[in-house]
Amino acid sequence: MTLALRALPALAGWLALAATALPAGSAIRVAPVALFLLLGPGAALLAFCGPALGGHRALGPAESWDEGFERDSDRIERLVLAVGLSLSAAVVCATALIAAQAFSGPRVLIALTLLTTAAACAPRPRKG
Amino acid sequence: MQQPATDSGRPGPTGEKPAPDPRPPAAPTGSTGFARFTDRARLRSLVPLAAPPVVALVLWAVAVSLTDVSELSDYGLLAELPAVFWAGLAVLTAGFWFCVRDPARGNRWPLAYTLVLLVMERATQAAVYPTPLYAWAWKHDAVIEHLLTAGRLQRGEELGDMAVYDQWPGFFAAQAALVRLTGAENALAFMAWWPLISSLLLLAPLLLIYRTFTQDRRLIWTAVWLFYVANWVGQDYFSPQSLAFALYLGVVAVALRRAERPAPGRRSRQLVWFALLVPLIAAIVIAHQLTPVMLAVGLAALALMRRYRDWTLLLALIVVFLAWNLTASLPFLREAVPDMISSFGKVADNLETGYGATPTGTGALVVSWTARLLSAGVVLLAAVGVLRGGKLLRHRARPLLLLAGVPLLMAVANDYGSEMIFRVLMFMLPALCFFAAAALLPPARPLAAEPDGSGAPRPATGVWYAVAPPVVLLTLTALFVPSYAGKDRLSYFPPEEVSLVRGVFEQAPKGSLVVAAHRNYPLAYASYWDVGHYWFLDDAKEHVDKILKDPAGTLARDMSGVTAPARGYLLLTRGQIANSEMNGMLTGEELRRIERSVASSPLFEEVGRNSAGAVFRLKSPTAEAPGKETP
Repeated sequence: MTLALRALPALAGWLALAATALPAGSAIRVAPVALFLLLGPGAALLAFCGPALGGHRALGPAESWDEGFERDSDRIERLVLAVGLSLSAAVVCATALIAAQAFSGPRVLIALTLLTTAAACAPRPRKG
Repeated sequence: MQQPATDSGRPGPTGEKPAPDPRPPAAPTGSTGFARFTDRARLRSLVPLAAPPVVALVLWAVAVSLTDVSELSDYGLLAELPAVFWAGLAVLTAGFWFCVRDPARGNRWPLAYTLVLLVMERATQAAVYPTPLYAWAWKHDAVIEHLLTAGRLQRGEELGDMAVYDQWPGFFAAQAALVRLTGAENALAFMAWWPLISSLLLLAPLLLIYRTFTQDRRLIWTAVWLFYVANWVGQDYFSPQSLAFALYLGVVAVALRRAERPAPGRRSRQLVWFALLVPLIAAIVIAHQLTPVMLAVGLAALALMRRYRDWTLLLALIVVFLAWNLTASLPFLREAVPDMISSFGKVADNLETGYGATPTGTGALVVSWTARLLSAGVVLLAAVGVLRGGKLLRHRARPLLLLAGVPLLMAVANDYGSEMIFRVLMFMLPALCFFAAAALLPPARPLAAEPDGSGAPRPATGVWYAVAPPVVLLTLTALFVPSYAGKDRLSYFPPEEVSLVRGVFEQAPKGSLVVAAHRNYPLAYASYWDVGHYWFLDDAKEHVDKILKDPAGTLARDMSGVTAPARGYLLLTRGQIANSEMNGMLTGEELRRIERSVASSPLFEEVGRNSAGAVFRLKSPTAEAPGKETP
């Protein structure tokens, strides 16, 4: 995976942070923020784990007549994890900040963006 | 019939390429769309596919503009939706069946149909009502407001019955961040669209789950359709459960694919997948009380199967669960556990719906029975599917059979505040709908039945498959609407009601008490950390009878603990009356009698009134009228 692709989620995070300076409630502010919260951290984490995930076949149906079925299922799995991980990161981060009495909206976003950036820059674990 | 070894759920015979396919080439599934538009014959075949969803959306838009919600009856939205809405739904459902029953159909068209279904199901109320629905959703907005105001998590002593939300704050903390980041004033700005959003979050996990047990796209998409149509329970609203359920399905979906019993040497690769699931598990534990238990029960059931015998994920869940519940939420649990122990095993009690939840009035009864009919229909269909599928289906989809049955154990364990029966149904639904869909399609054949052993699906042709499945789908889809939106008379709060209640909180000093008949009104929990509330229909029957006999006097005494400068308020709104009437508590006439008595009493002064209700304030002690009863 090229560096540019790996950097994309992190870029989305910084963009979302910048967008919070725009007028409240406007679409141009809501869209990047919502999109990043929904997909950013998860996509970066998956890209980070990339080689370690591949090459190990999932359990699947008994039939084999549909070529490309397995590949499509793998893609859907990535989507499920990207969204699940992003939402979970938001939940955990926000709760941690509130518990630490250090909560603010921008701080949650900064924490998530830093996490995403770290995942994008870190050297990836090797396959297997 | 002996099943070949390849029918174990593992990927089919490895390495072997199937023999050249003697069947005519299947319709292209992933090929580029634009090349097709240049072919006129292709364009003509596109029309019967594209027309139903487009027509349905147009009809929906027309229906939304025609719907008048100012005078809701006991039939809720059901009675207000124009015929155009039903026509659109019928066109969409019938079109869906004729789209999906072609085994060579790709994924894009069924996806389009499903998305339109979701819009018609879950976006109608957001489009039609000017204010968000459900008193509980308004309550959750109050919790977010509390977190933003307090900036920290608080204990039971400070918060009373609302402390539970500080012990499981995950959803609220995340939403608080979202409110601040988008610049919205509060969650009310987007709350009404949450049912659509949370339902969309379920789509990918559902697809992933079903794709683990069949390649037959007809079965997959029909099961998805049935799920959305049977999920009337309404836990998709702005609540921790909606998020927790989506994450739960995500964990289950990945576990069904990856939590295979490890062969020697494969352990380390699997750990990566489990590591990725831990954040989801953590979020579920932090956000909701019940879902981690449901997840544990489901994972335990899977781990008992030879295919999945790996306890690592379940152990991780237990560790995270204990870590959170023995620290942050311990104060709540210390009080709740004795109740939990006493309700264990009392199945009948646990399944009984809550106090004052006896549907009353024709409309409420009809709505409640259509919901039961819908659920029973899906369960029956699932039973038919299991029978028709025979040993083959039961063998291939055994994990789903387990996941369908296991939530019933929770009915034995706890009543979850009388909500258990609905939650049990919701957690059973994904697995149930797979078998329900199987009932509508030709049963799968064993791989050995075909020359190339690839298990291609049998076509669903003939009169039976042209008539029976669409009729079933149309019926169930139609039953969804009253089940989901039939109680809107008590779920919807007109803008006048919102402004009336807001007026109370704008004038009530800190420490005041707001008394109402029932919690079913908007902003019921507003400023709950500063302003107390008391809902007299929650009280013992003797006390409610006292109120009926001498409304002004009894209520004045109930408010007597409030010390200046705080005041006591009595708030009676149409939402409370609707809830009371439709659930068999006091009748509308009794509540209005209470209002008239208070209005004419010298103990109270009226401080607010509009078409939605009235607000009375207890006069300060120095202005007491002579002849007041001594306590």
